[in-house]
Amino acid sequence: MSRSHALRLASKEFGLTGKRGHVFPALSLQIGVPVAATAVALLIGLAIIASTGTPLEDAIAAFWDGMAGSAFNVGASINRAVSLTLVGLGFIFANRANLTNVGGEGQLAVGGMFATAMALHGAAALPLGLAFLVPLIVGAAAGAVWGGIAGVLKAGRGTNEVISTLLLTFVALPLVYWSVQSLHLLRKPLTDLSSLPESPEIPEATRLPLLFPSNQTSPLHIGLLVAIAALIIVAVVLQRGSFGLKLRAVGFNQIAARRAGIRSGSLIIIAMAVSGGLGGLAGAIMILGEQFYLTSEFSSGYGFDGLVVGLLSRGSAVGVVLGALLFGFLRSGSIDMEITAHVPAAVVLICQGLIVIIIAGSAIFVERMRRR
Amino acid sequence: MALLEISGLSKRFGSLLALDNISLNVAEKEVHCLLGENGAGKSTLCNLVFGVYRPDSGSLALGGKPFSPKSPADALRQGIAMVHQHFSLVPTMTVIENLMLGRARPVLEYSDMIARVKALDREYGFVVDPHSIIEEMSVGERQRVEIIKCLLGDPKLLVLDEPTAVLKPEEIEALLSICRRLTEKGKSVVLVTHKLAEIAKVADRTTVLRHGRLVETVTMAGADMRALVRSMVGRDVTSADAVLAATIGIGDTGEPEVAAAVQREAPAQKTILSGNGIPALELKRLTFRGRDGVCKLEEVSLAVNRGEIVGVAGVEGNGQNELETICAGLAAPTSGSVKVNGRDLTHATPQEITEWGVGIVPEDRHAVAIIPELSVAENLLLGRLDRFLRFGLLNRAAMSEAAAALMRKFDVRCESPDLPMSSLSGGNQQKAVLARELSLDRLTFLLAAQPTRGLDVGAVEAIYGYIRAARDEGLGVLLISSELDELIAVSDRVVVLYRGRIVGEMAANQGNREPIGAMMSGHASGHMHV
Amino acid sequence: MTEAQLAFFLGSGLRLATPIIFAGTGEMLSERAGVLNLSLDGMMLIAAFTAALTSWATGSPAIGLLVAIAVSLAVAYVQAVLSVTLQANQLVVGIGFNILALGATTFLYREIFGPLSRDTIPGFAQLNFPWLAAIPVIGPALTQQTALAYVGLLLVAVTWLTLNFTSFGLSVRAVGEDPRAADEAGINVIKVRYLAVLYAGALAGLGGAFMSVGDSNTFTEGMTRGAGYLAITAVIFGGWDPWRTLAACLLFGFATALQFLIPAMNLDIPVSLLLMLPYVLALLAIAGVAGRSRQPAALTLPFERAS
Repeated sequence: MSRSHALRLASKEFGLTGKRGHVFPALSLQIGVPVAATAVALLIGLAIIASTGTPLEDAIAAFWDGMAGSAFNVGASINRAVSLTLVGLGFIFANRANLTNVGGEGQLAVGGMFATAMALHGAAALPLGLAFLVPLIVGAAAGAVWGGIAGVLKAGRGTNEVISTLLLTFVALPLVYWSVQSLHLLRKPLTDLSSLPESPEIPEATRLPLLFPSNQTSPLHIGLLVAIAALIIVAVVLQRGSFGLKLRAVGFNQIAARRAGIRSGSLIIIAMAVSGGLGGLAGAIMILGEQFYLTSEFSSGYGFDGLVVGLLSRGSAVGVVLGALLFGFLRSGSIDMEITAHVPAAVVLICQGLIVIIIAGSAIFVERMRRR
Repeated sequence: MALLEISGLSKRFGSLLALDNISLNVAEKEVHCLLGENGAGKSTLCNLVFGVYRPDSGSLALGGKPFSPKSPADALRQGIAMVHQHFSLVPTMTVIENLMLGRARPVLEYSDMIARVKALDREYGFVVDPHSIIEEMSVGERQRVEIIKCLLGDPKLLVLDEPTAVLKPEEIEALLSICRRLTEKGKSVVLVTHKLAEIAKVADRTTVLRHGRLVETVTMAGADMRALVRSMVGRDVTSADAVLAATIGIGDTGEPEVAAAVQREAPAQKTILSGNGIPALELKRLTFRGRDGVCKLEEVSLAVNRGEIVGVAGVEGNGQNELETICAGLAAPTSGSVKVNGRDLTHATPQEITEWGVGIVPEDRHAVAIIPELSVAENLLLGRLDRFLRFGLLNRAAMSEAAAALMRKFDVRCESPDLPMSSLSGGNQQKAVLARELSLDRLTFLLAAQPTRGLDVGAVEAIYGYIRAARDEGLGVLLISSELDELIAVSDRVVVLYRGRIVGEMAANQGNREPIGAMMSGHASGHMHV
Repeated sequence: MTEAQLAFFLGSGLRLATPIIFAGTGEMLSERAGVLNLSLDGMMLIAAFTAALTSWATGSPAIGLLVAIAVSLAVAYVQAVLSVTLQANQLVVGIGFNILALGATTFLYREIFGPLSRDTIPGFAQLNFPWLAAIPVIGPALTQQTALAYVGLLLVAVTWLTLNFTSFGLSVRAVGEDPRAADEAGINVIKVRYLAVLYAGALAGLGGAFMSVGDSNTFTEGMTRGAGYLAITAVIFGGWDPWRTLAACLLFGFATALQFLIPAMNLDIPVSLLLMLPYVLALLAIAGVAGRSRQPAALTLPFERAS
């Protein structure tokens, strides 16, 4: 086998990154296209902002400030990226078996919901860090069940998982709404001062510990470590584990995989459960690490954004991280831009949509370049 | 003036030169056969004429005028129609809907088309129900629909790509007579085949292709059959073993010159190892009723001893698929039992079947035997990944090594075991599948279904060679094939499957070819041990 | 349940079903041709906003409707370029469009309508004929409908006729099942798919426009509330058949209408459960509780002729 051929295979193995120092046209296209798409989208976004009459410098200043203007904001952006990374990893995990899990939003929602329930009902008393670990695990388990339902349907009845996971999302969101509406469930007691549909705050013990507790300005919590661990595990399993190869086999051809002795049905269910579990974990982290109480809209599109990150990463774990950072920082910037410069955050939505469409539309050219 | 003139046509697919400087012509009112083994380039040439591909160099002329079709629609408009090996019929629609596709006025009017179909029926003797759904029709019937479809456009030239590969013996006769009738009505026919016996019956002229090059164009009247065989296969063949003869279609066709062209070797002594008395495979009263209630296998009982090749003859669709899937552990029979080496594996999973020494070479290679996107090594070792784990991760280097060793042993030609399976030729893919199955531990029994379909002579010989070698070492083999001559040549004895029942069993020699053929069509039954 | 409540329930069920019927019928044709438009929701949202804006600016809901359809056709065209010609992943394109639509409509809404968000916009009048009201049981429900509702039902019939009795419909069905065979029969697969997507876009535009100028006479951010996804679900539920899709749309419409009926009947069922009811029904349907149906074989698979 020629050297360039071997290098090409290696770059495929590791996704975006190739061996140190070697850059191919196809590889640079894989990074270049998302970068170019982002640049184009941001330029269009700036043009739109300019059209509203808001001075561009104010908008950009507010945007930058929200993203990385202070250590706190950087930390908050990274926290956002953590949730997006987990959902994105979940997506590519299932996608390895040719399963498309678009239900990240719902899995995230039930994860957060069950994590809150666990935190409010008994976990606080647990010793040795279990106080926050148990709700995390419960949240992940809830997401796993949510994803697993779609897996069971697919394995047993051949149900299209795109539709089933999407439908499950639209079932999950009202569930969360119900849980914070109903006093019997998670709603905080009505008082004279407030009667908002939200849960009480979770006890101190169940909150995720900060990474830099002495540093008041950093909101970074151990969720970051969880995400990094998940990243490494997922990347290794998919690329080098026999489980990853079996997923690929099942994804390409269920029947041939069965003939090779692989239990296709179980694999599909496991893949969807892991995918959902990562989403649930993301939701749990959002509550236990940042928000500390449950509201009906807490998921606020993170599941969909995470899924977009997964779609755009084209199966690469590194790609997920880069995409998650991008979207995480964009989201932070947009919030501040709306508050400070009064530019609707919807502009960033426009940019995101454009990024997705441009990358999707250019896939055919990237493929053709890779084939040469 | 020739109807179709082909000059210097070349076509390359990636690194493969499929056609190299082909020049030939097709006259009016002629049946012109394209002869060559699998992989010679016949289909590619037809697809170029029909506008599916565009040539890299060379030119075409139709009726004297330059002809370069940009699409099948283009070719159709100019009077060329083609029936492919893989039919282009929409399976869920009816015959009449398929015929109207691309031909109808904005608002559909079925009566007009039905009348035209009936007229064609009378002219050529087809019998086709316009309202039957394609996926419910037999292959022969579907082919007739394809031909009707072609004739609707009143083409000047009809190209038939390997039409006989999927037909029963009697349907082949019918097709060849249709070809003659077409020329009587003023059309020309290009018939693509790799069977010498067929062209002897119907061709006016024959062009032989080999490895993408044109060897010669021969007028059939007074042609030297031996020379034709030599052109086709590429070497001087004074005697051929039965397998080769079968592959190029020289059976007992009753054509003396054809039979005389190749003297057949006396069949090798076939010994049956006695083993320890327990059959490699024992099927007892195997019955399978499908979800629609139709009985696909009925009380099938047969035994395959160790060191024996049992051939299952029969036209496709008579229960072979079900036999294969049950033995592979993918489906459970409605009743009856499957025992391998004495062990009951009736309800075993594919994994258990492999563990207990059953190898399966499935019929539909592309759909179920291999995963083209995965590498050769991954395909070869997919069932045995746990042997290559190091700290829970795959040891790719060890996998490549093991795969390369296997490939060397079975002559699977490929640059590297890490290339995708799809980069291998059909013959090499099949060799790889065989390599995988024959290298199983404790292998007792091998089931091979249509193992040589679509392969060139070299690959066919290799595959049967490996199977025979395995048989000689004590393996029991069940060989399912609709290529009767090959089956007879390789097997020790032949059973015939018709409508899910075993209707006969005979020794495998050419003398039994006719009775076996009769049983395949359901005209007879009987058990003869000659 | 009182008669008035029944009338209101039936009426609101029909009203809620109408946009889904429009979008679902168009999407069904597109999926029969093999193209899945996950962006249906986004197209409806853009249409709703455009219709509202134009109606408010010109004072005529009819012009609003026409402009909305035109805009939807443009959006559908871009979608077709991406899905059919550029062979982009149809799921990614769909979700991307939905994000873009939400962002664009929200942004424009705030910029233009911001301070005027209380204004109602001119909408279509309900067809309130006395003879209509006299029809037993469903009469009062029918009087709550605008002309658009009937247009919707008419379109279902038109689509059914097209699919089964015209050459174009035959081509659509062939392209969705076996594009290679259709291509070899001389059919322009790309063109057929483009037309199918445009059809879905036009009807989605009608559906979206209905939501703003035919129903609520206003526009709110994200007002489609997943109606597009519900339409796609109805297509699957209805087994890609025009009339069964219609039945599914009606079912979902009435399921949504229960949201208003149940509290009115003083039943203490949480609103959330009613909110999720259509989706649960759809889940049960696709889980095969109602029997399996076969999807068009080439659905979401791009077509490229090997050369």
